[in-house]
Amino acid sequence: MLGNLIKAEFRKTTTTGLWWGLMIPTVLIALGWALGTGYLGKSIMDTIGSSDAEQLTDLLGIDPAQWKVSLFGMARSINIATIFPMIFGGLAISNEISRKTITTTFLTAPNRVSALSAKLIVYVAWGAIYGLAIVASVSIGIAFTSDASALPDAAGWLAMAGVGVLASVLMTMFGVGVGALTGSPIGTTVVLVLYMLILENGIQLVIGTQGIPELIGFLPNGSVNGLTGSVASSLFLSTAGVVPDDLEAVLRAVSGALGAFEWWLSGLIFLLWTALVFLGGWAVTQRKDIT
Amino acid sequence: MHDGSGRIVVQNLTKQFGPVAAVQNLSFTVEPGSVTGFLGPNGAGKTTTLRMLLGLVTPTAGVGLINGRPFHQLGNPGRVVGAVLEAQGFHPKRSARNHLRVYAAAIGVPDSRADQVLQLVGLGAAGDRNAGGFSLGMKQRLALATALLGDPQVLVLDEPANGLDPEGIAWLRTFLQSYARSGRTVLISSHLLAEVEQTVDQVVIISRGQTMYFGPLDNLREQQRSRVLVQPSDAAALVAALHEDGITAIEQLPDGRIAVAGVEARQVADTALKAGVSIYGIQEEKADLERLFFQLTSGQYAAAGPNQYAQQQPPQGSGYYAPPPGYQQQQFQQPYQQQQYQQPQQPGYQAAAPGYPPQPGPQVPGYQPQPGHQEPPAGYQAQPAQQEPPPGYPPQPGPQPAPGHQDPPSGYQPGQGQSGLGGGA
Repeated sequence: MLGNLIKAEFRKTTTTGLWWGLMIPTVLIALGWALGTGYLGKSIMDTIGSSDAEQLTDLLGIDPAQWKVSLFGMARSINIATIFPMIFGGLAISNEISRKTITTTFLTAPNRVSALSAKLIVYVAWGAIYGLAIVASVSIGIAFTSDASALPDAAGWLAMAGVGVLASVLMTMFGVGVGALTGSPIGTTVVLVLYMLILENGIQLVIGTQGIPELIGFLPNGSVNGLTGSVASSLFLSTAGVVPDDLEAVLRAVSGALGAFEWWLSGLIFLLWTALVFLGGWAVTQRKDIT
Repeated sequence: MHDGSGRIVVQNLTKQFGPVAAVQNLSFTVEPGSVTGFLGPNGAGKTTTLRMLLGLVTPTAGVGLINGRPFHQLGNPGRVVGAVLEAQGFHPKRSARNHLRVYAAAIGVPDSRADQVLQLVGLGAAGDRNAGGFSLGMKQRLALATALLGDPQVLVLDEPANGLDPEGIAWLRTFLQSYARSGRTVLISSHLLAEVEQTVDQVVIISRGQTMYFGPLDNLREQQRSRVLVQPSDAAALVAALHEDGITAIEQLPDGRIAVAGVEARQVADTALKAGVSIYGIQEEKADLERLFFQLTSGQYAAAGPNQYAQQQPPQGSGYYAPPPGYQQQQFQQPYQQQQYQQPQQPGYQAAAPGYPPQPGPQVPGYQPQPGHQEPPAGYQAQPAQQEPPPGYPPQPGPQPAPGHQDPPSGYQPGQGQSGLGGGA
């Protein structure tokens, strides 16, 4: 029975243009950010690696030649691009409510729990599909503009790919939950984009200047950033040789993981946020009078 | 899981939207093998009732059962009940065929079923077009196709004729009747009796969230009595003569004619001849079903219209229309209670009761003829059996006609007792 509903939900997503309509900007943004951050990283490293700066690096006792700066670009690019699967998820239920197809959906499902479960499974899959596309685009972009020495090794790349896909799945689920809570496609999109891109960055700025950056790791975007950012900075630090303590905080900030916890803890915190909005949206939809 | 009976049972269904009681204690059953019309004016609670039956809206109280089960216990509901609901949506960018394939997958029927139902509803050529470009009528057909995907035993349609052209309506009628003939259940809502009159065998009539009548349409038809409109030279003499003949169902019409119910024109003419009264005009009239429906469902909104709402307004004093008092739903309720009218609370009476004492005068609220509709129906108010106030109610104080009210002929009087009760209807 659930298999039928999953098939139906999957068909819903493939029979309209939304999935590729959002896939195009996802890939473009991922690719563009990867190219840009790769180029930026390369420029900085070229400057540091130049003979002028050699004395300075010698003085600090560091060896920039081993720095895999591309990792930071990857983390940042993945984080930005996952905005789109989040919007895709946000439209999952809100679009059905606004188009009133939710009526037929509920009429053809044994109950709402199974209808929503099928949706959950299908959107986890879509989150993973978007995640793979993001990781692939970011990898291509970063490889184009970075020096080979700045790229992560295979294990490092796999780790980044893994957390990238995970972040995409969780962001999609987060979107589904918010969409179910608001019930409005436009409202959902505005809320998600405004919060993730502007509002929380503002909050983070305030928290950061108050000297309590640890709080950032508890916020939705802070924690999901921590997923990729923390992996990127630990990978970087593991191969970078000697890095002064002061520089570590800077590096985490660069990778987008300022105040974030270990990647798995960040993932758990964001999973909690996701579960919170998802279950809230579920409860609302479960009880909603479809008129 | 379910009993496979095809029976729809609505028991004491109530829905409260905040302070608004959309549906109040509604009960009826729909049997398989016939098309049942679910009738009521806009806002009577039809859509809410159907959505409660289909598990889309949670009832405040009561249950709606299909095959003996609430919707959520039907297992695979698409196989049991198909529904065409008002404002049922389609994704504008999804083709009709893809729309059907989505729900074919959900129900678990093969994809070929999507093309079958497209052909069935006459959309075979439009399958690849996006639903967003469909006309209202085509959307209704697509909604029907969706409802038919699982080849369900029970079909529920909310205002399915909306947007259909006459040809489409005729097609739908034939289709629904043959569907019901095959032993399945069809429940179809409408705010227009005329729209479904030729389609349905049974009717459930609701108004203001309450059941006003349910039973065979034929029984309702039988309630309509023909009456004779006659223009005599001396009305009083003719009325007296008719009384002598034992005919009391007489009513004075605003245009000076009198209406005699339950007799043939010939009999009236004979009586007139005997009494030496000249007849300037005589005409037989049959009240139509639509008007009956009107009576059963009248009075929903106080300020909305000139006619059926008149009863909630103070009498206008003109009295010219001398509204026949019997034009009230209560008159129909009584006979139906003897049949299968199961309304538990007799809400019409209930509603009337509170307003009863402070309304000494206007016992003639029922009917102000619409412009251009100058013939108050008379066939009902003079049936003696119906004139009695229901048990448990104090005898009606003598009706006090509105100022200027024309005193009706004596045979007309009993009817007045009825109208006060009907005031809340």
